[in-house]
Amino acid sequence: MSKKNRERKYGSGEAPSSASGGAEMTKFYWILGAVAVLGVGIVGYSVGSKALSSTVSEPIEMAGLDDPAELMQVARGVEKGDPDAPISIIEFADFQCPGCGGFATQVKPLLEAEFVDTGKAKFIYYDFPLVSVHGHAFLAARAARCAEDQEKFWPYHDILYRSQPRWSTVQNPAGMFEDYAEDLGLDEDEFSACLKSDRHADVVTANMQLGYQLQIQGTPTILVTQGQGVGRRVTATLEGIREGIALLQSGG
Amino acid sequence: MTSSAGTSAAASKQPSLRPPPRNRMVVAVLSLMGVFIALYLLAHSIGLIPLICGVGSCETVQSSQWAMVGPVPVPLIGVAGYGSLLVLAILGIQPSWKDSRGIGLLMLGLATVGVAYTAFLTYLEAAVIHAWCVWCVTSAALMTLIFLASLPEVGRAVRRR
Repeated sequence: MSKKNRERKYGSGEAPSSASGGAEMTKFYWILGAVAVLGVGIVGYSVGSKALSSTVSEPIEMAGLDDPAELMQVARGVEKGDPDAPISIIEFADFQCPGCGGFATQVKPLLEAEFVDTGKAKFIYYDFPLVSVHGHAFLAARAARCAEDQEKFWPYHDILYRSQPRWSTVQNPAGMFEDYAEDLGLDEDEFSACLKSDRHADVVTANMQLGYQLQIQGTPTILVTQGQGVGRRVTATLEGIREGIALLQSGG
Repeated sequence: MTSSAGTSAAASKQPSLRPPPRNRMVVAVLSLMGVFIALYLLAHSIGLIPLICGVGSCETVQSSQWAMVGPVPVPLIGVAGYGSLLVLAILGIQPSWKDSRGIGLLMLGLATVGVAYTAFLTYLEAAVIHAWCVWCVTSAALMTLIFLASLPEVGRAVRRR
């Protein structure tokens, strides 16, 4: 086989020599242009939509949170159960953390039946969004607080955890958060206005700071306390919480 | 016979009659895709946007110690690498450069460094970080394709010696 024929059959990395070179260049620039437009569109949209949005989805700068007294004025958990219950079960959690999802859907209902519904303990939820790894966790925490404004924190908490695999993977979950609010019968305009603002960013940021001061390193972290005592850290299982409460009650 | 050889020699001295190398066009398109992937990762690494990661654990990879080389984010190296390949490939299809052996070999050299570096990063994901970043894997696949598309430059360089 001659070199010319061989190149014709197997190629030489070059287009066949012909006047079609110009047409090929035109086609190439069209493809390059299409890739450029697509790339600029996707990257530009990602950056632009974040920059133009007034929705606060990250912790905010707050002065004075190093002062425990000031921190405790802003940090606030959401309580469930009898406010006068002798025991407090405190959770530091991240709505985007799968472990917290497992705790919320599998352990917490049993815990409530055994301790909260019976008046033995109250449950307190503190936000601890792991913002370095969970891009939507802070916004989810704010969304739950927006639902709390309409006295639906706990149903919203449950729906966020149940739907976690869906909203965690989308680029912007704000629309899904609004849909959940609608499903729960919340005032959509009020919820939407709250979500697309910086409302509750201070509380969520302060709760995170409280977690750091308590040396919380992961989620879910469960503490059990009696009265005003320092919390005892327990395993985030029903058995772990039972043991922790039993130790508190026995004065251990 | 003499006439035919003479025509062939004359043709080889008229670069404008030879069509632009198709493999360089492929490298240009793939490099442009790489530039945008690297820009997307760079925008995330400087805190402009959250990263969308359908499968894998992009955040784990991007927040690891391997995401920076000293003070330089790895995606910035990607932007520079893919950008250089893009410039070389586009230059390499221009009438005055399309017969250039130097541009082809420079492109191949850069693609070889690129494929070795992305292979190293993929190894880190698999064996050290134990997490996968879908964008990084896509980038590694793109760089491999760029390397493969650059290989005809070897034959072209040898033929024209």
